[in-house]
Amino acid sequence: MFADTGTSAWLWPALVGGGLAALALLALVLLTPVYKHILCAKYLFGGWKAVVPMVSCLPAALGVFLLILVFAIMDGFAEETRKMTRGTLSDIIVDAHMEGLPYYDELCRRVEAIEGVEAATPIIETYAVARIKPRFGFVKPLVRPCRIIGIRPAEKVRMGRFREYLKRQRPEAYPSADLLRVPERISEASGEPPRPGGIPGIGLIGAPMAAAEPETVEAGVGRRVAAAAGAVVMLIVTLFVWRAARRRPGHVGWIVGAVACGAACLALAATAVLTPVHETEVERDQVIDVPLLGYGDTLVVSTIPIRASGAIATEPGGLPKVQSRALAVVDYFKSGFWEADSSNVYVDFDVAQQMAGMTGGEGEEGAELARTNQVHVRITDPARGKDLCQAVEKVWFDLVREKGLATAPRLTVSTWEEHQHMILSVVDMQRNIVALMLSAMFLGFGVLIALISYVMAYIKSRDVGILKALGARDAGVGSLFLGYGFIIGLIGVALGMTGSLLMLHYLDAIEIWVNETLDVDVFPRTMYYFDNIPRNISPAWCVAVGLAVLALSTLASAVGGLLAALKQPVEALRYE
Amino acid sequence: MTEPILEGRSLVKDYHMGAARLRVLHGVDLAVGRGEFLCVLGPSGSGKSTLLHLLGLLDKPTAGRVRFEGTDAFGQPKRWRDRMRNQAIGFVFQFYHLMPDLSVLGNTLLPAMIQAPAVLWPMRRAGERKRAMEVLERLGLSDRVDHLPRELSGGERQRAALARALVHRPRVLFADEPTGNLDSATGAEIMRVIEDLNRRDGLTVVMVTHDQRVADRADRVVRLRDGRLLHTS
Ligand SMILES: Nc1ncnc2c1ncn2[C@@H]1O[C@H](COP(=O)(O)OP(=O)(O)OP(=O)(O)O)[C@@H](O)[C@H]1O
Ligand SMILES: [Mg+2]
Repeated sequence: MFADTGTSAWLWPALVGGGLAALALLALVLLTPVYKHILCAKYLFGGWKAVVPMVSCLPAALGVFLLILVFAIMDGFAEETRKMTRGTLSDIIVDAHMEGLPYYDELCRRVEAIEGVEAATPIIETYAVARIKPRFGFVKPLVRPCRIIGIRPAEKVRMGRFREYLKRQRPEAYPSADLLRVPERISEASGEPPRPGGIPGIGLIGAPMAAAEPETVEAGVGRRVAAAAGAVVMLIVTLFVWRAARRRPGHVGWIVGAVACGAACLALAATAVLTPVHETEVERDQVIDVPLLGYGDTLVVSTIPIRASGAIATEPGGLPKVQSRALAVVDYFKSGFWEADSSNVYVDFDVAQQMAGMTGGEGEEGAELARTNQVHVRITDPARGKDLCQAVEKVWFDLVREKGLATAPRLTVSTWEEHQHMILSVVDMQRNIVALMLSAMFLGFGVLIALISYVMAYIKSRDVGILKALGARDAGVGSLFLGYGFIIGLIGVALGMTGSLLMLHYLDAIEIWVNETLDVDVFPRTMYYFDNIPRNISPAWCVAVGLAVLALSTLASAVGGLLAALKQPVEALRYE
Repeated sequence: MTEPILEGRSLVKDYHMGAARLRVLHGVDLAVGRGEFLCVLGPSGSGKSTLLHLLGLLDKPTAGRVRFEGTDAFGQPKRWRDRMRNQAIGFVFQFYHLMPDLSVLGNTLLPAMIQAPAVLWPMRRAGERKRAMEVLERLGLSDRVDHLPRELSGGERQRAALARALVHRPRVLFADEPTGNLDSATGAEIMRVIEDLNRRDGLTVVMVTHDQRVADRADRVVRLRDGRLLHTS
């Protein structure tokens, strides 16, 4: 979400600010009396007892872990949705709705003349009813609502990712943009005369279904990660046992224990490094599309033409004049964006224009101009979308004035993001709500950290008394506990950050492992069109989460710091 | 008497327990001369430790003044008293109060570590260590420097506490029953060190004790009963 909102504008100030803050912190750490460093180290690493308060880094770690992991996945979904919705559209959409706009070729030419615009093409978009008679299995025809989209194929392939979404005519196989011709092969085979071609979305004429498909995955990653984590734990255990062994000279058991722990640590480290990561094939459910119609099969679509006046075209006698047409399936279309895939039928612009009643000419209500519903515009720099929208609008107003149109249709000129605002904002909102909820949960963790810090300061109150009696300042002793909380937070953030980034990196491997060992389908491929669990790791978000959690755990440990600072030395030292 | 290094004037100390007020010291006047060895005697609960805390600038009197080397200590900012405790005063507590996580050497270095900024410590450490080792040697702890307090006997702990109170060469030593928990031989040994410092280096000593034999060796003895000074000998 940070990617296309001018990252560089705040990146440098943020880096400079962060650098200055780090320098200030370093200066503080260097100039502060040395007893704090020594005691902090003792409190952190001074034997088994130090492990207990160390546990308070776990809430911080968990908070960072969840915030980064969940946000990355949610943001991945948002990003993926964004890509999908964008692929069927273009950078700028001039929408004249169902009324349509005249002089569209002139408009396209003039818009293409605007600096920063690459191409413009008219698009017909009208609603229809599709009747599908499946080849096999079903007896009754299926009737579905659909959207007829009239395109000029040679121009449309230059907009968005339209061509990538075609099942049969991917760029290499059919470099020609002549997508909608019924392939000769098809008409030859059926012996029927060529019909207007149509490209229905896969959702309209087929169903996504799950089937076991072989997939290559990396094996051995899980063992590597587990062994590495084990090695780190064993290293810590070894250090503690080694310390204990040094404190008890002559106790062979401790030395043997330390050596054994060290050996275990080395063995785990070796496993982590040496376990081969190799590609292996696993069978797993993949989405395959099962079309009900084959290439060359017929799809009957019916539309109601709309006049330039906005009136519905009628038969003599007042009934709506329904246009029906048989379209031969020449390809399938699959963008992964369900709304498009379940209802779009792409046809040639001229065919669609006829079906929508927008060809113009001498009609029952007098002469009409040829019209289109939309004009899609591709621009060089997506960041300039807003400005170019205004330029396009101005071109349209000039055109209206020149042509002396008395009743010009109202246009909506918007960027694709504004056009898909509803869908995009829902996904964004989901992500933000989850992030907010996790943050709220983390506030609960903050209370926990505060409690642990309080208990820590309480346990160490005699130390506080001694330090103050020997001339340590109140604020100094308080900051000792603050620094302790800061380091605990730092360890937690480091753990959580490493954990979540590792998890995100090996997400697919982990998912497959869970799938196979627990037989739980975490991410059913039939539910989403994505091949992998989408994820989008935003460095800015990671830094923000890290800093926020660090700040919160430091702030929470101020409770202990305050208790220590306010403690009267004689109170703490009265008894043994 | 020589010019006083330390002076308490009409010292009053109250403790509040809920609404009730407990007056522990009822206006104590006491002056300690430079280089003097003063003993405070008195029954348990008479306020000896409380008096020592006030004179040692550890606790604030409810009323009255403490003059330390001619300066009104509680008229000064807290920072000043912190510095005096760190540099001019040595304190041996009734219950040792050593830092449990630090070794004997670490405890002895504590006053220096409280003062030294972290950047300067690597440069100062060797000098401070040498000084600490000298004191520890004098107290017979040179083979215990790396031990933690819990690994020491009571007498060794008391000597470690004394080492920490003496390492920065204070001008006044406060000792709250330094021999109270010790057998007579160890107690005598500690007394010898304190007496030696008092005679040879002119260290001012204010000591609380129950032990008449210890009190006999002091320059002067004051007796405290129910928060009042009884008589001076
Ligand atoms: N924080 C406090 N709150 C209430 N009463 C206190 C407090 N501190 C000390 N006292 C009371 O003050 C009185 C004097 O205490 P202090 O420790 O000075 O006695 P002491 O003469 O040193 O006794 P001992 O010889 O047993 O050490 C005691 O009765 C004690 O209960
Ligand atoms: Mg006492």
